[in-house]
Amino acid sequence: MSREARITLLVLVALVAGAAVAFGAPHVLSDYFVRIILLIALNAILVLALSLSNGFTGVFSLGHVGFIGAGAYISGILSIPVQQKMALLPHLPAFLHAFSLPFLPATLVAGLLTALLAVVVGYPLMRLSGYFVSVATMGFLIIVNVVLINASDFTRGARTFTGVPLETTLPWVMGWLAITLFVLARLVYSPFGRAMKAVRDDTIAASAVGIGVLRTRLIAFVTGAFFSGVGGSLYAHYLGSFSPNTFYFALTMSLITMLVLGGMGSLTGAVVGVVCVSLLSEVLRTVERGFTIGDFAVPALFGASQIVLGFIFILVMIFRPKGIMGDREFTFGLTQGSATVNQTEERKR
Amino acid sequence: MIKLTRRGTIGLGLGAFFALASASTALAADTIKIGYPANLTGIQASLDGPMLNGAKLAASEINASGGVLGQQIELVIYDSKSDSTTISTVASQLIDSDKVVGIIGFADSDSVLAIGPQVQKAQIPFITPGATSPKLPGQLGNEIFLAAFGDNVQAAVGAEFALNKLNGKTAYLLTDIGTEYTTLLSDYFVAAYEHGGGKILERDTYKIGDKTFTAQIAKLKALSPQPDFVYASSNAEEIGLILKQMRQAGINLPVVGGDGYDTPLLIQVGGDAAKDTYFTTHAYIGEGAAPKVQAFIDAYTKSVGNAPENAFAALGYDSVKLMADAIKRAGAPDPAKIRDALAATSGLDGVTGTITYRPGISVPDKSVSVIGVKDGKLVLASEAAPTFVAEP
Repeated sequence: MSREARITLLVLVALVAGAAVAFGAPHVLSDYFVRIILLIALNAILVLALSLSNGFTGVFSLGHVGFIGAGAYISGILSIPVQQKMALLPHLPAFLHAFSLPFLPATLVAGLLTALLAVVVGYPLMRLSGYFVSVATMGFLIIVNVVLINASDFTRGARTFTGVPLETTLPWVMGWLAITLFVLARLVYSPFGRAMKAVRDDTIAASAVGIGVLRTRLIAFVTGAFFSGVGGSLYAHYLGSFSPNTFYFALTMSLITMLVLGGMGSLTGAVVGVVCVSLLSEVLRTVERGFTIGDFAVPALFGASQIVLGFIFILVMIFRPKGIMGDREFTFGLTQGSATVNQTEERKR
Repeated sequence: MIKLTRRGTIGLGLGAFFALASASTALAADTIKIGYPANLTGIQASLDGPMLNGAKLAASEINASGGVLGQQIELVIYDSKSDSTTISTVASQLIDSDKVVGIIGFADSDSVLAIGPQVQKAQIPFITPGATSPKLPGQLGNEIFLAAFGDNVQAAVGAEFALNKLNGKTAYLLTDIGTEYTTLLSDYFVAAYEHGGGKILERDTYKIGDKTFTAQIAKLKALSPQPDFVYASSNAEEIGLILKQMRQAGINLPVVGGDGYDTPLLIQVGGDAAKDTYFTTHAYIGEGAAPKVQAFIDAYTKSVGNAPENAFAALGYDSVKLMADAIKRAGAPDPAKIRDALAATSGLDGVTGTITYRPGISVPDKSVSVIGVKDGKLVLASEAAPTFVAEP
């Protein structure tokens, strides 16, 4: 079987498996486990969007949660039913009062508008490197938070934004995850992806061989922002009610932890990071309630889960500083094939 | 010999965790399970912590006297970490895995808004001990019950107290527009105060987390004539700072507010500046409290090791009693029957007052305690039910 056929087959198998989980799980598993799978898939979208700039392009952004927040609020404002809009957001401009969008269009609009926002923000910021871009993007996150709190006609200010229909189901999230993975894999493992990694590894050398550093970074940043906006919309329609502080430093930290733990230079690593952190924190959250083995009772120690989780992160960083996956991918033997193909091609040249 | 690989060890560890987790739930069969999500870590911890202690005390008292319907009740407690994503996960865990017949939880409206859609969908009765937005049942549905009075009631009592006891005909209104609770409280205060003939001379806002209030205080100082008092709709952290900075600026007007003041922070942060401050809250739990409140204080001190931190401890206690009473009257641990019994609650005597739900209204009519600060101590200034209450 040729390599292309094998890849197509693998993608098909993955799609069928994903679809089986998406549509089968709600019938087999309890609502709690379905929610855990949904949250893992949702966080995977967010972490993948983050990995594009932070992992592959070397622009360590602390501002992606700003895009998630923007996406959540944009889609929320668009999709609240018309009757409720009057009651919840009486000071909206008239044209926003007149209609409400279904879930999918609202999500797409949220993604596109956040991508547009990323163009505006990224154009000046993507000229920066290293620590400076991290601090600058963090500044962007703070600006988004302050705007969300003060634009109270649109967002109800710091109060809870509520009334968003609960439309986010497992098939939706799995579908978006498949699209995100597909687009990102095509982008990262393409000539453009090589340009991204070249910019990350040595900016000067990259520009010396004719790679547009700003253009490369901007494309990565904007694509990441689009999927962050989409993820934000999914989040909004999962929670139903949220406030500006839902999309702030706590979420930033948890997404970055998942990314770094899984491996910054790997798409499957990002997913592995999300799965590990989510499952671990769920297990610990249950264990910290205390339990009994025979006559031996361990009392409830609320808050212990955070301590144990932090300790495990430190251990991982000591023993696997590049994260669980580093920059390798789960490819079921296909990369080896591709690596040899590339090598033979290079030898021919 | 079995050789353990690294992967095998991790697998074993995880397996053991899951086994333990399921074992802990399997042991406690034949009890009536009541879900209790609590924000034991995060920003809500100072309210939800005492509330949970009160709830546990009530549960152990009920169990010591034979339980409900011949069965023991069990509070299924999870830490929801003051985070809306965790709250929704915990909700599905309680409803789906633990099969609770009712849920009690939270001291703030935001957390209730986060859990509301799920309990409503699963048709599980839900009591919030501490959230006071009277809009909650309307926003979420008929499974949602408040154990505390609504903000419209406490704002009305605050307004009438200011008008009648402080003789305050004019007011300066300061509002924290950062939270649902403080924003609503201000609106209700204005409605009741103006209905009673009072006049708001000037109003200003700030946001939760602010540390300096110089601009707002300068605005107040520039008013001529000066208002008779200040109504500050604030949360616990900020009111101490506001009082301190206001007294330093030479303003000695009385300050009135809501149950957000009711934490030890008021006197800890405010110090001497807290004098001439009054707030409306659920119960007076200081020296010389009513006998039933004193009994609660003693029992709480015995089981927890310190006196109740605030009235939220009493609300947690009352909420469990309220749920147990409804289960008893329902005759079976069935969520639909419990909801109906809960809605029919009448004259249930609690530490924080008597709970009665009028038909179709899930916010109880309760009397409100007005507490004042005198010589660095809290004293009961008045206890009243309002004559006029704004619509929710």
